Amino acid sequence: MGGSAMPHLSLLEQALLTGVLTGGLYGLLALGLSLSWGLLRLVNLGHFAMALLGAYLTWWLGTSYNVAPWWAGLLVVFVFFFYGVGLHWVFMRFRVTEMASMLITFAFAVIVESTIQTIWTADFRRYETAWGSQSWVVGSLYVPKLNTIAFVVAGALAAATWAWLRYTYAGRALRACAEDPPIATAFGINHRGLSFLLSGLCAAFAGVAGVFIALIATLAPSEIWSWIGVVFAVVIIGGLGNPLGALAGGVLIGVCEAMTMAIVNPSWAPLVSFSVLIALLLFRPRWI
Amino acid sequence: MLLEARNLTNGYGGAPAIWDVSIDVGEGEIISVIGPNGAGKSTLINTIAGLLRGQTGSLRLGGTELSTVPSHQICNHGIALVPEGRRLFTGMSVEENLEIGCYRSAARRNRDQSLERVYGLFPVLRERRQQLAGTLSGGQQQMVAIARALMTQPRLLLLDEPSLGLAPSIVGDMFRIIRTIQSEGMAILLVEQNVLQAMEIADRAYVLEEGRIVASGLPRELLAQSRIKEAYLGL
Ligand SMILES: Nc1ncnc2c1ncn2[C@@H]1O[C@H](COP(=O)(O)OP(=O)(O)OP(=O)(O)O)[C@@H](O)[C@H]1O
Ligand SMILES: [Mg+2]
Repeated sequence: MGGSAMPHLSLLEQALLTGVLTGGLYGLLALGLSLSWGLLRLVNLGHFAMALLGAYLTWWLGTSYNVAPWWAGLLVVFVFFFYGVGLHWVFMRFRVTEMASMLITFAFAVIVESTIQTIWTADFRRYETAWGSQSWVVGSLYVPKLNTIAFVVAGALAAATWAWLRYTYAGRALRACAEDPPIATAFGINHRGLSFLLSGLCAAFAGVAGVFIALIATLAPSEIWSWIGVVFAVVIIGGLGNPLGALAGGVLIGVCEAMTMAIVNPSWAPLVSFSVLIALLLFRPRWI
Repeated sequence: MLLEARNLTNGYGGAPAIWDVSIDVGEGEIISVIGPNGAGKSTLINTIAGLLRGQTGSLRLGGTELSTVPSHQICNHGIALVPEGRRLFTGMSVEENLEIGCYRSAARRNRDQSLERVYGLFPVLRERRQQLAGTLSGGQQQMVAIARALMTQPRLLLLDEPSLGLAPSIVGDMFRIIRTIQSEGMAILLVEQNVLQAMEIADRAYVLEEGRIVASGLPRELLAQSRIKEAYLGL
């Protein structure tokens, strides 16, 4: 029957849209990780733990104290910035290397996970709001409002960070330090001050991601680990330290996952990110 | 004297790589330091640039002691480095590299004039200013390294083997550029293995061997010494 192709097509369109929007959330999570890995040479697994902590704080402030998510979000982002600065102080104080940073922040993530579990138990948590599940209807597509806002925020942050790294003296100085710290120093760049700022920003980005995770996803302490694989793939595909790449990588993975779920089988989705990563590493496009 | 280095000793943990080195650079002078591989030339120049710290002895620029100045403030005192092997920021465009040169706030104010000046010296860089520095030819990369250093508006330019790895036809151009920069009033400390050209261009020269200054003076006097002629010119 001729008509039977239509619902199939719109199903694919809906999957594509879901993939793009999910990809925005992946990109948002990947942003801080990519920047600290690429520009500070620190692999911060604690980034995921902080995002989840930010999500729990947003949910907790909202459900227990009736704090609106945007106010909770502002508070989380503000506090996280200073946590990021403090974290970098610790890294500098103990001269932590790239490899060591991964192990230390892994331990940190485990501690955050058990702390969350102790305070809020291992139960699933869902932040119910009146507007949380609203959608715009465009033609035959349902466009969820919250996911769209998350995508727009991810895009704005990625673009702003990209412009900052490219067009400001501070941003260019950070890129110079990532390539050759001693020579950057010889040209008057004080890496310490700039790296504190960047580390603070990365943590603040984890906070932003956390707010949207609270509103969009179901929370459980072990969620920390479910993102690591996907977001690592996103960071590497996007290119370390490349904010627009992180978003593009997120969208690529998000779309591939959603398409796999729609066309093949939902249970294959977890394989997608690594298959894409491996394929890209084998063919090595120039940007990686 | 603009630069007065006195009894500098510095190294890498174990035995010192330079030992009791004293050199002077006057305003507007070109001073060459020659010496064989591993003599300590880069160690000396990096110590002056603040890249390698932990030296003993004194290092004064225009009367200011630099040993206690933090590394990232050395360039504020008027020292700019063209490092061995150029060490450009290869993932950044030519113009971004030059803008790192005018990062310090005093130089930032004169960004536009400085860019005009270095593009005047190296017109090819203006054409290539959007290109990634890592994709340029060796000679062009050396131009970027020199231009980046000039962007800091230094009083003393440190050049560590600027002719290293360049095609012989370009080496001559490089020395002409150095001469031009000096004629605009800048003092230059040049480290080279290209002995003849380095001697020809220099007002005075030092010979560094195994971390010590073994001879110094006017280039023609040094080249007249049979020991130096034998060791460096193979005559
Ligand atoms: N990073 C380092 N760590 C340890 N030893 C070093 C280091 N760099 C140089 N050296 C040693 O210090 C000595 C002086 O080296 P330096 O690079 O200053 O010589 P150079 O005169 O610049 O040589 P070249 O002409 O090859 O550039 C050498 O014996 C070298 O092996
Ligand atoms: Mg050397």
